[in-house]
Amino acid sequence: METKLLTEHYDKEEFRNLDGYKRHGGYEVLKKALKMQPQSIIDEVKASGLRGRGGAGFATGVKWGFLPKNNEPRYLLCNADEGEPGTYKDRLMMEKAPHQLIEGMVISGFAIGSNKGYIYIRGEYDYPIAVVEQALKEAYSAGLLGKNILGSGFDFDLDVYKGAGAYICGEETGMISSLEGLKGQPKLKPPFPAVQGYLKKPTIVNNVETLAAVVPIIKDGAAAYRKFGTEKSAGTKLFSLSGNVVKPGNYEVPLAYPLKDMIYKLGGGLKPGRKLKAVIPGGSSAPVLTAEEAEKALLDYESLAGMGSMLGSGAIIVIDDSQCMVDMLGVLTHFYNHESCGQCTPCREGTGWLNKIVHSILEGRGRLQDLDLLVKVADNMKGRTICALSDAAALPVISFVSKFRDEFEFYVREGRSKVKGTSYAEMHH
Amino acid sequence: MPKCTINGKEIEVKEGTTIIEAMFKNEQKIAHYCWHPGLSVAGVCRLCMVEIEGNPRLQIACNTVVTEGMKINNASDKVKDAAKWGLDFHLINHPLDCPVCDQAGECGLQDQYMEFGKYDPEMAEKKVKKHKVVDLGPTVVLDSERCILCSRCVRFTDEVSKTSELGIFNRGDRSEIGTVDGKSLDNKYSLNTVDICPVGALTSKDFRFRQRVWYLKDQETICNGCSTGCSIKTYFNREGFYRVKPAYNEQVNSYWMCDEGRDLYKFVNRENRYLKARRKTEAGWEEMIPGAGAKEASALVKGQGDSLALVLTGQYTVEEFETAVASFVQETKSKQVYHWQNHAGKENDFDGFLIRGDKNPNTAGLKKVLSKHGIATSWHEFQSAISSGKLKTVIVAGPENQMHYQEIDTLVKTLAKTKVIWMQSAKNASLEALSVGSWILPMKSYVEKDGTFINYAGLERKFKKVTTVVSEALTLAEGVQLVVGQNLMVKPETNAFIETARRQDQVMLEHRKKNEFVFKRGSL
Repeated sequence: METKLLTEHYDKEEFRNLDGYKRHGGYEVLKKALKMQPQSIIDEVKASGLRGRGGAGFATGVKWGFLPKNNEPRYLLCNADEGEPGTYKDRLMMEKAPHQLIEGMVISGFAIGSNKGYIYIRGEYDYPIAVVEQALKEAYSAGLLGKNILGSGFDFDLDVYKGAGAYICGEETGMISSLEGLKGQPKLKPPFPAVQGYLKKPTIVNNVETLAAVVPIIKDGAAAYRKFGTEKSAGTKLFSLSGNVVKPGNYEVPLAYPLKDMIYKLGGGLKPGRKLKAVIPGGSSAPVLTAEEAEKALLDYESLAGMGSMLGSGAIIVIDDSQCMVDMLGVLTHFYNHESCGQCTPCREGTGWLNKIVHSILEGRGRLQDLDLLVKVADNMKGRTICALSDAAALPVISFVSKFRDEFEFYVREGRSKVKGTSYAEMHH
Repeated sequence: MPKCTINGKEIEVKEGTTIIEAMFKNEQKIAHYCWHPGLSVAGVCRLCMVEIEGNPRLQIACNTVVTEGMKINNASDKVKDAAKWGLDFHLINHPLDCPVCDQAGECGLQDQYMEFGKYDPEMAEKKVKKHKVVDLGPTVVLDSERCILCSRCVRFTDEVSKTSELGIFNRGDRSEIGTVDGKSLDNKYSLNTVDICPVGALTSKDFRFRQRVWYLKDQETICNGCSTGCSIKTYFNREGFYRVKPAYNEQVNSYWMCDEGRDLYKFVNRENRYLKARRKTEAGWEEMIPGAGAKEASALVKGQGDSLALVLTGQYTVEEFETAVASFVQETKSKQVYHWQNHAGKENDFDGFLIRGDKNPNTAGLKKVLSKHGIATSWHEFQSAISSGKLKTVIVAGPENQMHYQEIDTLVKTLAKTKVIWMQSAKNASLEALSVGSWILPMKSYVEKDGTFINYAGLERKFKKVTTVVSEALTLAEGVQLVVGQNLMVKPETNAFIETARRQDQVMLEHRKKNEFVFKRGSL
């Protein structure tokens, strides 16, 4: 069973309009929040244990606490550059409930003392952009955005910024660079965005889901939110289930929900006659879990970290026994090679190197020593760069090669896939 | 003043110092590329990684500020491994064309790899293909394959020259340096990008393929291009001078110099110099050994009294001015010494960074010497003295750097009826028009003598002789002394004569021994 805290009314078409949203209790929480002290909103979010839903899982209240305590202008940015392969929850949230995001952002903006926000949406999301822009118009004309919101004296302006579809712009400082009109490249830290971000002003960057989750937290209080999930991973989260399952889609469940149930109960299991081989639990950059590990895994930050993987953005990619792991890794390394921003040497050169090695194997030119080399190269890319893209590229390589070494060795020896029995050219016509 | 420990050694540093600065200050070795002391921190080469106690992740030394009690280690296996792999990542797509690369011998990749490298390459794939021989502008050529994308050149055009022509285009391992909007890299400081390029990606059109750097010696001196007086390094061998690069000087030019100053090695070379004293006769030019020529020329000076003048340009050393003016005044009892300033009225121009309108390195020095001798003449007085026909003989100390002395031609024409003793180091075609009976005496250039320049700000700096190019040439002091009929009071530079007496390759060998294994990390 899903636990629908955020997605309760997503099935209703009217929920995306202001009237429909209001009919289901929309903007009531904002009225409540505007009467609260900003600090008490921050305290409430801190107490709720809400963690960033974009991938890193950093405590939201703590992040807000890093802002300098002065009257300097500051920005609230919503990260809707949903680029992690397998993730499509933000798209759903923006399409189905744009006002939920706007309400969350106004509350958050009020809490951190910001008067200007941007929603950075990836360029490919034409439809969500249209929906959010329509919702912004409605909110502005209803006095829910702009000057003196609901007579509280609080001003908040919100704009949509359309990205150009670069994966790296989902990294918060990369996004800030892009928003500033620069090439989308992460910035050196320190200084962190909370101190010096967009236009060198203090900036908070939060994911769509994080900002939307502020609404139920302020509505029912931190204690009510904490009823879901565990001590360290509180609340509910949307998971984007994809791959070889019968019913792929977005599912909202409390954290620490068993992965097994996600696949077999909500996802309707695998196709008849197929066996589970592996699961990538948190977007393509999360290390892959084998079927045995997946059976035991719980969907929360700690449990997956304990298995050497991560919850990430909550994109669960299910892989059954008809898939060739070597071929899949080829897709992943190509993606990261294409998306590396090229700033730091280990990532710029390493992603290309990994991709070339994997494709050498795929094209039948592999050597057995290449398997160790892949792990060695990936190991030396980890933790050596400005942002986490290098790690994101390295982790799947290490986990694929070490957990499915037999498939890789077979491919090197025979020049064809162990699973499909065919060569790369035949697999891809 | 935080105290920290670097590799077990306790060090106290200034507030706000980064780890890499602290390490260089204390002569510790650390691999690095993208960091340059004159530019902002990019933090992209990821080579300068250090271990900081209490932090499980390696941190880059260039962007980490030293805090009280910080324990820094860059000698552990973890750090060494990071540097090794960091270098290997730099090299996997770098063409190993060192034998034909202009940077070989002074290449950051070569130096660092020798010291920190992995020595066990594992790259077996094809390298990325990029553009070669990209014409960036009038001065610089780019080889994208050699580029390691340290972004120093991009930061230079953004932060120092403030022209922002360069940028990095494309992403990932397809990234390449290029110019924005098809502009060309065309500014007055463009060649600094070649200096700071740690590999052979950016090469100077002037210098490329002309000499291997290991056949060059370098020596610091002062640029004579304008009154800023940048500290420079000249590169030369027995065949002549090949290039000029800036040398660090905190008070004057930091790490930079202008492109114009880089051309000033050219007139020093033998093929552009007067080698012999020349006298114009009806039949043409007669040549003579310079010292003997100067003695003969003194016949023009003897007994001239008030019809004799000395014209000086601000391009000689303070010491030369002093001896020349003193001997002239003492022997001739005349105070007709004039200061010849090129394009007057523009001497206070300034481009806001280094280039000044006064194209003489030692105008301040000349003024100081003149006022010491109580001489307060104006150029206007000289011109009226000439036009009135009062002056019969004029001794001119011509400019070495003639790039901004278009007035030479005008002056020669004005002196058509006067006998001239023109002292000049580099050839100038206008001098062919001097009147019959005039002399041209070959002078030593700024790299051939010791001395002092005083720059626009009154900063007095001594510089050492670099080498000898024309051994018989005279200094201004010697020239004026001989011409006014004195014997040489200042001893001729002894080593200049000794050097010519020896075989040149023998001299080279000695110098090479002296300079061997001089490895300056900071010069990268």
